[in-house]
Amino acid sequence: MSTDHTPPEIEIPAGPDWPVGYGRRILAQVDSTNAEAARIAPEISGPEWILAKSQSSARGRRGRAWSMPAGNFAATLVMRPTESPDQVALRSFIAAVALDEAFCAATGRSDLFALKWPNDVLLKGGKVAGILLESAGAAGGTVSHIAIGIGINLAEAPNTGQVEEGAVRPVSLAAETGTRITPEAFLTLLAASYARFEQRFRDYGFEPIRRAWLARAARLGEEITARTMRHEQKGRFETVDAAGNLVLSTDTGRHTIAAAEVFF
Amino acid sequence: MTKNTHDADVAFIQALAELLRENDLTELQVKRDYGEDDSLNVRVSRKKEIITQVAAAPAAAAPAPAPAAAAPAVSAPIEDDPASHPGAVTSPMVGTIYLQAEPGAPAFIATGQQVSEGDTLLIVEAMKTMNHIPAPKSGTVKRILVADGEAVEYGSPLVVIE
Repeated sequence: MSTDHTPPEIEIPAGPDWPVGYGRRILAQVDSTNAEAARIAPEISGPEWILAKSQSSARGRRGRAWSMPAGNFAATLVMRPTESPDQVALRSFIAAVALDEAFCAATGRSDLFALKWPNDVLLKGGKVAGILLESAGAAGGTVSHIAIGIGINLAEAPNTGQVEEGAVRPVSLAAETGTRITPEAFLTLLAASYARFEQRFRDYGFEPIRRAWLARAARLGEEITARTMRHEQKGRFETVDAAGNLVLSTDTGRHTIAAAEVFF
Repeated sequence: MTKNTHDADVAFIQALAELLRENDLTELQVKRDYGEDDSLNVRVSRKKEIITQVAAAPAAAAPAPAPAAAAPAVSAPIEDDPASHPGAVTSPMVGTIYLQAEPGAPAFIATGQQVSEGDTLLIVEAMKTMNHIPAPKSGTVKRILVADGEAVEYGSPLVVIE
């Protein structure tokens, strides 16, 4: 990693649709937008989006490779929330419903997109985006910052050779929908959607987010599989509860799951 | 509390500490009632790998009514409850534990290691949010109480730092 932590910024003025109160940085290149978020977190005065045109060491959840062909989208929203860590983690759902809404706005095709617990947005059942949230705890059980990293195959999907077996097939927005949009333009749509859902969360709590999420959920009421490092649980996907847990009903009863990988 | 009571208490606690050592015990807890709203609660413990059964001996050390108070505990094995340890770091949320930044990477911490305040000890994941748990203070990692991939509840003790 370079010791110079001031990557070159590209000056493009934010348009009138940019949400009030949110900062925006556009970088030509960075190691990863989540790493940049952790670096700038102590100095930000409000929530801030970081968009990178290129990432030299992008990564997914649990260190999974995340490749980024040119024209694809990589951005992180960094914030310093004051809620407890379990409330902060609900940003997973806010990010998912906002991303889904931005996709629908960009393509005009809400029928093509659906959500997979907790924060995957599927395009025709394929993986078009990945969201990686990282928070750093602080003394007293609070959170010093949260970084919501979002990668999107806007232009091109990575080679299927790079994808784990059993994983959802990678797809791109351009190939599946014919929509071509620049990362900057997509960021404006996403930032506006995110700001609206974030405001709803602050005003009314998780319930409206939960409802919005469930309205767009894939396989609700159907049999799905939740897999952790140690267990595999099959069951009927009943709902998402008030704490964001996945609720499965099985022969042995209802199971609420806080962390798992969902497979259809 | 008068000086005499204080001295008596100190002597009492010293006697308990000796008992602990002589009988090779890990922990001893005694409540001594002086009167209404006036009692002394003492818990003496020391480090030991093997959990020992308590013999009837502690009761003999304290004058009545302490023996009665201590009696129910004697037949049960003494367990060191890490959650009550002053150096215990507890989970701020329900989730899954990760001891490394990613599979194949070295663990954040090892038992006996020195850590500085703010260093990441481990990750608790919930809702695909990786919550990095920092050391609340500088010190030595005495115990790691969770395994990689383990599910934890809110308040579960994770690590003891002294």
